[in-house]
Amino acid sequence: MNDLDKLKELLFGAEKQALESITRRVEHREVRTADVADILPEAIHRSHKKSAELVESLRPPVGECMQQEFHHDPQTYSDALYPVIGPAIRKSIMHALRNFSQQINEAVEQSLTFRGLRWRIQASRAGVPLGEFLLQKNLLYRVEQAYLISRENGLLVGHAHHEAAKIKDSDAVSAMFTAIQDFVQESFSPDRTGRLESADMGEFTLWAVHGPHALLVCVIRGVPPRALRSELSAILERIHFRYGDSIRSYSGDTSTVPDVASELDKCLQFEARQQDDQVKRGVPTPLLVLLLLAGAALVYFVATRWLQSQELARLMTELEQTAGVYVADGYRDDGKIVLSGMRDPLAPTIAEIAAAAGVPSDAVEARLRPFQSLEPEIVIQRVRKLFGESDKIEIELVGSRAIVSGPSTIELQKRVRDSLPLIAGVDAIEYRLPAVDRVARIRELLGPPSTIAVTAVPDGVALMGSAPLSWIESAVTRTANAELGFYVDLNALVAADPGTLQDRLAEFSGVAFRFSSGTTFAEGAESLLNDYAVRLRSLIDETGNAGSDIRITLTGSTDSSGDPAVNATLAKQRAAAAAGILTTVGIDPASIVYAENISDDDDESHADPDRRRVTIELELMDSATTR
Amino acid sequence: MTLITSKVCVVGDFAVGKTSVVERFVNNQFSEKYLTTIGVKVDTKEIDLPLRHVTQKLIIWDVAGSDHFGDSEISYLRGSAGFIFVVDGTRPQTLKTARSLRRQIEAKYDRRPSVMLANKKDLTNAWEISADQIESLADDYDAVYRTSAKTGDDIETALIRLADLIVGRELHE
Repeated sequence: MNDLDKLKELLFGAEKQALESITRRVEHREVRTADVADILPEAIHRSHKKSAELVESLRPPVGECMQQEFHHDPQTYSDALYPVIGPAIRKSIMHALRNFSQQINEAVEQSLTFRGLRWRIQASRAGVPLGEFLLQKNLLYRVEQAYLISRENGLLVGHAHHEAAKIKDSDAVSAMFTAIQDFVQESFSPDRTGRLESADMGEFTLWAVHGPHALLVCVIRGVPPRALRSELSAILERIHFRYGDSIRSYSGDTSTVPDVASELDKCLQFEARQQDDQVKRGVPTPLLVLLLLAGAALVYFVATRWLQSQELARLMTELEQTAGVYVADGYRDDGKIVLSGMRDPLAPTIAEIAAAAGVPSDAVEARLRPFQSLEPEIVIQRVRKLFGESDKIEIELVGSRAIVSGPSTIELQKRVRDSLPLIAGVDAIEYRLPAVDRVARIRELLGPPSTIAVTAVPDGVALMGSAPLSWIESAVTRTANAELGFYVDLNALVAADPGTLQDRLAEFSGVAFRFSSGTTFAEGAESLLNDYAVRLRSLIDETGNAGSDIRITLTGSTDSSGDPAVNATLAKQRAAAAAGILTTVGIDPASIVYAENISDDDDESHADPDRRRVTIELELMDSATTR
Repeated sequence: MTLITSKVCVVGDFAVGKTSVVERFVNNQFSEKYLTTIGVKVDTKEIDLPLRHVTQKLIIWDVAGSDHFGDSEISYLRGSAGFIFVVDGTRPQTLKTARSLRRQIEAKYDRRPSVMLANKKDLTNAWEISADQIESLADDYDAVYRTSAKTGDDIETALIRLADLIVGRELHE
């Protein structure tokens, strides 16, 4: 070591050691790494606190690393993210549903009020959907557009806008805003330090945030808070940090500022108006009304359907119980009950059945074909129709045999018998007449002599007494052929004894038949005379067989009113009229003699109906004597 | 096709037809009615330049006519990628104005591609600019055209030429 070195050692010894120590630290990589590792966490922390530049710087390499790692080993990352992804998705869905529900609530609430109606009209006039209009009304503010404009040349570097915002030519807007900015600056700020920072126009506010190379102009609907300007400034700073050089030399080529739009999207912020808590707590009144209406409509619908089904069931039951109607199908169509099947014309009408079931007849549409029912009620009606629907007739059906009770004439019974083959459900008819009618019926059929008693017995009639044998034989034949429908007992009849003929003549003799006037019989007299003539004929026949003969004296009578000569002639005419009826039944005219009996009352004006008559007298004679 | 946006400014004396030139180029329309431009009016028009594989969107600043730029007008020209000078062929004085305005611009900003339109070519009887005068302009402008906004003669050609010059310069840089 020479003197110079010693001097150096004396003068710079300490510095030299320090320099050597520093040199060692710099040259040795491991030492240097340890130093950096020592201060790195604190350096990152400080840098991050100071500005957002660290994040911006780390974003590309970290992003690239993650991309490569995801690609290289997706399974590991999917396993690692699994516990996070599930809750995140659920949270996102819940959030979206909550927002959706709130939007619907608000839309319903607003649309059912007068204010809502007014807004609907305004939305229509503004040409925006109601939902968007309501959203605008409920927003405190919303940044609708953000323009990033080059300060150098006014060219549009980037543009972001809300979907609903109406966009003109954004390049022209950008240029024009720059021109206005220049104009304002030149006109009102001679030293060019002043800047246009905000402008109001109707419901919009324009905010301009100035950076070194670019201008961020935001079109804001509503009233933005002051804090928003700071946020916009931060965004512009970040853009400058990321694209500073590109913007400074921007000449219209958008590829020099990639993804600037995504940065600008962060400007599109909004804040909703705070709803009144009072209103928010309860269910909105219009919604409540809507729910009540919907509930009422549902109840009405269900009740109506139930009532309709009950109505249909009642009608179907009634139809099932009604004879002569067969319904194959019954259903509701367009509010009406439609029936298809068959109906006998004698069955009640559908309107009558519907009324019985309590169903309005105009609510029923019947598509029924006619048919002939074999149900007993309808068959009985069909038979009753043959009897003229008389109330006195009672009909019972036993199998295919109709049992008829009540008054009926022989002619009617004959007509019914002829029609029987045409009546579905009946093969035969049996008559069951009441006791009185049975007796009358036998009297009408047989015209029994006075010596015969006709009496009613259970289910039939019994005849007792004596009569000429020929009459008895005739009675047996006639009752057998008459289809009376009841039993006739003729067993108690005995053949008449000739010795009693005189007595029977006495019964027939002295009978009178009245006239009303002239030669016209009184009411019923002619019928009685006919009956009398038949029986007299039987008596005469009987008498003839017994070897005797009868003389009949007809005495015509008149009262004293009128001309006696005319009366005499009238008396003869009356006797002749009676003789006419007697001869009609086969009585020999030779056995008839005539007499007159004119009243000898002097009073010509005395009219006496009892004297207007014919009297018949009988006298038994020996045949030989008579002839 | 790459989209490039460029600002161009239309300048010239009063009533030389600047707004008519822009209207003919942008909307292919012409009006005899004269409306003076106050301040500046902005229009846009896209031009396809297939040989350069570029679509050029021109942001056209139609600056109010003037024989001298004030501070406000000169600031409008900031950052312009090209200029369209318009003169009135029936008024030789407007040539001088154009020259004066060009000097003002070059004093303030870097030189940019520019075209000269000697307008109102349709007014042949009143035409007063000689062919020599037009040829002498060739040194000062990248291209010179005799145009008519009324008939549309050479308007589009001139603007496409300017667009091409701008793109060429951008690509060159």
